Amino acid sequence: MKAIEVNALTFTYKDGTTKALDGIKFAQEQGEMVVLMGHTGAGKSTFSRCLNRLIPHFHKGNYSGEIRILGNSIRDKRVHDLVGEIGLVFQDFESQLFSTNVELEVAFGPENLCLPRGEIRERINEALQLVRLKGFERREPASLSGGEKQRLAIASILAIKPKIVVMDEPTTDLDPQGKLEIFSVARLLKSEGYTVLFIEHEAEAVLEADKIVIMDGGRVVTEGKPHEILRDVELLENHGIRPPQIAKLFQETNEPSLPLTVEETLKVFQKREWKISDEKYTALLKKDDELNTDYGKKIIEVKDLEYIYPGNIKAIDNINMEIREGEFLAIIGQNGSGKTTLVKHFNGLLKPSKGEVRVAGEDTKGKRVAELGKIVGYVFQNPDHQIFADTVEEEVAFGPNNLGIPREKISLFVEEALKEVRLEGYEKCDPFSLIKGERQRVAIASILAARPHVLILDEPTTGLDYREQKSIMELLESLNRKGHTIIIITHSLWVVAEYANRVLVLHKGKIILDDQTRKVFSQEEKLANSFLRLPEIIRLSNRMGRTLLSVDEFKYCLKR
Amino acid sequence: MKELFTMWKHTRMVVLTAVIASVYAAVLIPFKPIPIIPGFTEIRPANVLPIICSLMFGPAAAWGSAFGNLIGDFFGTLGLGSIFGFLGNFLYGFIPYKVWRIISKEEPTIKGSKKLLKYIFLVFLASSVCGVVIGWGVDLLGLVPFSALANIITINNFLVASILGPFLLIILYPRIKRWGLLYSDILEERELPRKNLRGLGLILISIGGLGGIVLGNLISLGIYHSGFLGAGFITGTTGSLGIALGMVPVIFLILIGSMLL
Amino acid sequence: MFIYLDKESLLHRLHPVTKIVGLLLLFIWAMVFNHPLYLSIIFVIVLFLSILAKSLSNLKKFWILLIILAFFSTLLWSLFLRGPTRIFKLGFIQISKESLLYGLAMGIRIDTMILSGIIFLSSTRTEDFTLGLSSLGLPFPVSFALSLSFRLVPTFQATTSTIIQAQKSRGLDLESGHLLKRIKKHIPLFIPILIHAIRNTDLLAMALESKGFGFKKRRTYYLHFRYKWQDWLSIAILAGLIGLSFYLRLNGYGVIFRRI
Repeated sequence: MKAIEVNALTFTYKDGTTKALDGIKFAQEQGEMVVLMGHTGAGKSTFSRCLNRLIPHFHKGNYSGEIRILGNSIRDKRVHDLVGEIGLVFQDFESQLFSTNVELEVAFGPENLCLPRGEIRERINEALQLVRLKGFERREPASLSGGEKQRLAIASILAIKPKIVVMDEPTTDLDPQGKLEIFSVARLLKSEGYTVLFIEHEAEAVLEADKIVIMDGGRVVTEGKPHEILRDVELLENHGIRPPQIAKLFQETNEPSLPLTVEETLKVFQKREWKISDEKYTALLKKDDELNTDYGKKIIEVKDLEYIYPGNIKAIDNINMEIREGEFLAIIGQNGSGKTTLVKHFNGLLKPSKGEVRVAGEDTKGKRVAELGKIVGYVFQNPDHQIFADTVEEEVAFGPNNLGIPREKISLFVEEALKEVRLEGYEKCDPFSLIKGERQRVAIASILAARPHVLILDEPTTGLDYREQKSIMELLESLNRKGHTIIIITHSLWVVAEYANRVLVLHKGKIILDDQTRKVFSQEEKLANSFLRLPEIIRLSNRMGRTLLSVDEFKYCLKR
Repeated sequence: MKELFTMWKHTRMVVLTAVIASVYAAVLIPFKPIPIIPGFTEIRPANVLPIICSLMFGPAAAWGSAFGNLIGDFFGTLGLGSIFGFLGNFLYGFIPYKVWRIISKEEPTIKGSKKLLKYIFLVFLASSVCGVVIGWGVDLLGLVPFSALANIITINNFLVASILGPFLLIILYPRIKRWGLLYSDILEERELPRKNLRGLGLILISIGGLGGIVLGNLISLGIYHSGFLGAGFITGTTGSLGIALGMVPVIFLILIGSMLL
Repeated sequence: MFIYLDKESLLHRLHPVTKIVGLLLLFIWAMVFNHPLYLSIIFVIVLFLSILAKSLSNLKKFWILLIILAFFSTLLWSLFLRGPTRIFKLGFIQISKESLLYGLAMGIRIDTMILSGIIFLSSTRTEDFTLGLSSLGLPFPVSFALSLSFRLVPTFQATTSTIIQAQKSRGLDLESGHLLKRIKKHIPLFIPILIHAIRNTDLLAMALESKGFGFKKRRTYYLHFRYKWQDWLSIAILAGLIGLSFYLRLNGYGVIFRRI
């Protein structure tokens, strides 16, 4: 008997013009872990919601096809009939948690099932044990880290004892540490005998899966063992998935073994006697140094900065740094390390508790955010926190209007900003109906239109698929080349490695590293202490005594 | 009125109620203790929310506004007056969608002078009912005199809802509609309000709301200041009508009218 | 709840229903007299309860509010009411001894109520409160919506402050301009707040249904309170005190004006 069996499943949302699912055929054995991948809009979430009848009961539309869960057709079932069979965990953990403590959160499902109190207590214990949150019973969900919150969301589903657990991109909003926690919970569930369906973007996470299924355009495109699928670089890239870097490195070689881990790769290198060319590596270093002398005058200076939040929480502790015109700086560090607090000083949103911050030579004290906005533009993490206008054009014109830029210039600035982010022709569009990647671009354009010299972006790639991430970063790269100073805050270290020229590592409000990207990323151990795990290609090169930041650099330097 | 009760079986309406309540409370709280203190009254823009939410989410906005106001009180100003705050805000979120269905067949995206006029009428009605009910209640309890609070509430609510409402609705309404979250889309057809006497309800509630403001101010200015209440002194013989009793018919009209809507 | 203090006290241990009923009784008690002396006695008793509930630390946050409220209440009623013993007159404005005393009494009444509220909030969790309401017969979806609202407030406060910062970064200046302009400046704030909130609605509703919400008419509660003798005794004492007070009031004690 199969856990999940789907035949010819087709669904179109009410008011939808295209089929969200188009004849899906899918099967999963009991006890298997299957990973579902594909770019944004491929139909993964829609598919997962069909499995417990949220579609077509909650989201209405045109539905046809057949789904069998544990051998039984679910045609006549409603959502609550299936809670004992299949549990769904959603991406956005913030909106799944609603109790005042961990224990009560987990109790919610069993309470709805009318279970006796003793049984509920047992289930809470078991579920918290499984996600390793024992001892957290009385904690407030709001006080947990992202990874812990998502584990709690999983526990609250496990307490209902479903046989199948479906997780819809549970790691998207998490930092690297949180992601690892979720991956290990997923593995644990599989070893406990659960059937796990895992929707995920990150290729590295899924090595232990029994099967990978790739969706596109509402169809299953292909499926296979992780080792086969992950090596097919072209297939992955075509479907918005970031291929493992090592697979990419071996893409054009005729190496038959195709390693996926750093250790395997080192063995292959040894066997084949492949080395990194000293001469070419020196050339890379020289290029780094040239870039360093190219920068213009100081645009932001931070002296002895301290920032204390109400309640006497020191978020920034004695920071000294400066940023010069034309730099591309990445600020990294765990959640709560003070990254966002630091950059909010650059446009005057926060004023120093101690020390000073100078922007273009002037102290930010006594300056309004609106004044500094002409020099420093700040794109917030979530574009939905700022979009409010009826059309893209109005949205983008809002900033320049506020900053008192003359009316006749505004339309020109708006036009150019939209061109810059490649949204020309979208002027009259409704910004709310654009997809996430496009909304992110609107947000960037709305800042660009005020023509600030410095651009700060908080987590510009979060929640985007690989294709969208790359295109946002290429946009920033081109702005940097045109002279803008770029500052990004990010958790995504491959983004840092491939695009930033300088990296600042924060830990508990202090700078622990501040140097050229290559130099920072050579200090693997120091980074690991701050829970920062480097991309595999860098770890590989570090093992060989050099620091190479991207697959392209590696290919360039590799002496075969 | 039955949709106020049947809506609880729709999970979306339950969640919408909570969402409206918490957003209302979240933007209300920074100003919370101030309205009781005349002269210190800052404009409270948050009070546009019950009106626009009512036009989009119907009964969920009535409960949501009442809950939201209660939560605001939970930040420290909980008292017996909270009961009237609950009722006043409930009606403030209840009247708009009900009345709009009576006076207009069109969507409440406020474009054009005819729609705007209807909207302004509705806002004034809801604001004054809210003001009268709360003002009467706190006067009855001896917390604050009627005219000190009722007028402030009515004017503030009327101002912010007439200025902000049309702009917000034009942008929000079509999007909420597209996401299928309008109350008319969530509730089933047979749950939607349809009453024969709703015209009468509208008339009663208009007399109650608009009349209440006038009457209440007359009583408090005319009667209080004529020294009438002096007769209420311990040794005096007759008690005064005062706001508490004098306004009872008005409150009665408002409640009956709401039930008929 | 927001000002809940996680401590051990007699009031923390009471059944939520006892606390809700007790709170209402305290409110009613404060309504019986309108003489400042009598109300002061009630106020002192409530103050003693607040020590019993170990909620004095919360009182520190509110004492300014309490003083302001009492002051304005006194001022307003002194001006709005007229008594026979005039002590001050300036044109239209006049104050009598009785209106002043009545105003003072109303100030103490407001403060007594708010103080009772603070004690309740300091010793009761959201879950206790909604459980109490359920025990009093409120249907589960209603009490759930109420407790969910409590839980979402801090989330939306955080979102609101992020949105304000994001729009400030785009040059929005909430402080400048005349009244009308300032009101209008809330449009770029309210729209993202509402859109964000409403977008979450579907997700939350799905998460709830996926956990069997609305599955059965009945449900069980993991939290459990039992009525103990302390519950009965507290209510009995309060009811007794209120009965005594009514008796006094009906016999003409504790009255300034013949109104509530």
